[in-house]
Amino acid sequence: MDINLFIVQFFNALFFASILFLISSGLSLIYGIMKILNLAHGALYMLGAYVTFTVAILWLGMSWYSMLLAYLASILVVAGLGIFIERVLLKPLYNKPQDLQLLLTFALIFILDDIVKMIWGAQYRAFPKIPGWSIPVGDYQIPIYFILTVFIAIGVGLFLHWFFTRTTYGKMVRAISYSLETSSILGINTDRLFALSFALGAGLAGLAGGVAVPLYTASPGMGGDAIVLSFAVIVIGGMGSILGAFVGSLIVGFSRVFMAILFPVFEIALIYVIMAVILMFRPTGLFGMEMRERR
Amino acid sequence: MKIIVDNIHVHISGVKILNGVSLEVGEGEVVGLIGRNGAGKTTTLKTIMGLIRPTEGSIYIERDGSTIDVGRMKPYKIARLGVTLVPQGRFIFPDLTVIENLEVAYGGVPPDDLLEDIFRYFPELKKIRDRKGIHLSGGEQQMLAIARALVMKPRIILLDEPLEGLAPKIVASVRRIINGIKSEGLGILITEAGNIKRIQDLVDRVYGIDRGEIIYSGDVEGIMKDVDARRRIWGF
Repeated sequence: MDINLFIVQFFNALFFASILFLISSGLSLIYGIMKILNLAHGALYMLGAYVTFTVAILWLGMSWYSMLLAYLASILVVAGLGIFIERVLLKPLYNKPQDLQLLLTFALIFILDDIVKMIWGAQYRAFPKIPGWSIPVGDYQIPIYFILTVFIAIGVGLFLHWFFTRTTYGKMVRAISYSLETSSILGINTDRLFALSFALGAGLAGLAGGVAVPLYTASPGMGGDAIVLSFAVIVIGGMGSILGAFVGSLIVGFSRVFMAILFPVFEIALIYVIMAVILMFRPTGLFGMEMRERR
Repeated sequence: MKIIVDNIHVHISGVKILNGVSLEVGEGEVVGLIGRNGAGKTTTLKTIMGLIRPTEGSIYIERDGSTIDVGRMKPYKIARLGVTLVPQGRFIFPDLTVIENLEVAYGGVPPDDLLEDIFRYFPELKKIRDRKGIHLSGGEQQMLAIARALVMKPRIILLDEPLEGLAPKIVASVRRIINGIKSEGLGILITEAGNIKRIQDLVDRVYGIDRGEIIYSGDVEGIMKDVDARRRIWGF
């Protein structure tokens, strides 16, 4: 492979892995804390993409300032929707069989897809160009936006690490993930922390959609691909582990991008081969711990 | 402050577990709840704490001149009124350190003077303050479970079989701690399955419970002399 192409694809893979990390860290933390497998997480990512497109392109016009506001809007809108989903739709199902939660989040995929079609129409919504300038590498270009995205993903990873290890709220969230009963008898408002956790996970999906939309364009159903690959990421990295989501994203991102060039036939297959091999030797994933039932 | 349990009935999955339990425990006294395994001791404590809803009956907390009905209240609100439970099995958060376990119960980083008060009772915990819960021995976990309850500054503590499964040396430490808590004027409701001797010098009075019914209420010597209670609790 030409070295310039390799460099460009390296950054392409980093960008892809960063988006995957933003999506899968939210999915993983919702599962790790609440034991809820949110199938609608990809639909939340799609909504984040539409909100960023609307704010940055339709309302404000593209600039770094409008992108920043658009990301914030995506986080807030999707996190707010997350609170509604958790408090109003999921909460009544907590003491019911888990299949009902799966069914509900599965139904939400279609509902959110249709809501998006009603508001924005069925056509693709593409950015006129990738924000920022590009760095020339031989005949190719590396958008500076790729590098910015990597920094956003690293920043989010560091924020989550700080939140869960340095703040009392974060430690309380880790406590409720172990035992709701014990946490509640210690005076912890578990309802509020559940809503906060779901909002945090949903907000990350919103941010992921916002960051991805300049490259991937917004379209109904765009969450489908994202959720499938994110499941592969958290199965490889380990359910509930942010570090696992980070490493899993790099593995999936790099194998997908480089296989597309080297062995296109195995582009998707390799991800699942890696997943199967890891599951054979470490059923909890690379960094996952044994999952406990919610009690 | 006083907890008043008034004729509570509890059903779990259609099975009657408590059948009209009434009891009281106030600040400054240690009350024992004695019964064999499955008699309803843990269910009683969990129901007081709001973890299980009674199907009939009421639970009140008398506090600062007012009476609050807590029978339908959420556990965290009951805890914030000054009641806490040290559960059987301890449920120490395994990937949080000793100090972090105390932090989540306090709701923030506990001030140094409060920590010093806690560590006065539990000097062993001070030495292992940065050790994760998963690496603690059974005795250390039990001490941390009580310390975690105390850091919330409760006025009444519910202790569910705190001496169960501990080595004799640790039992002595936990008994010393319970005496210390009592001397500070807190109320304690402590359950014990079989060996009443382990708690008879700690408690001011006891309730006997069998098949979800209170079968004895009175002093600790009395329960040993009550033929019916003795037979139903110890089988002789």
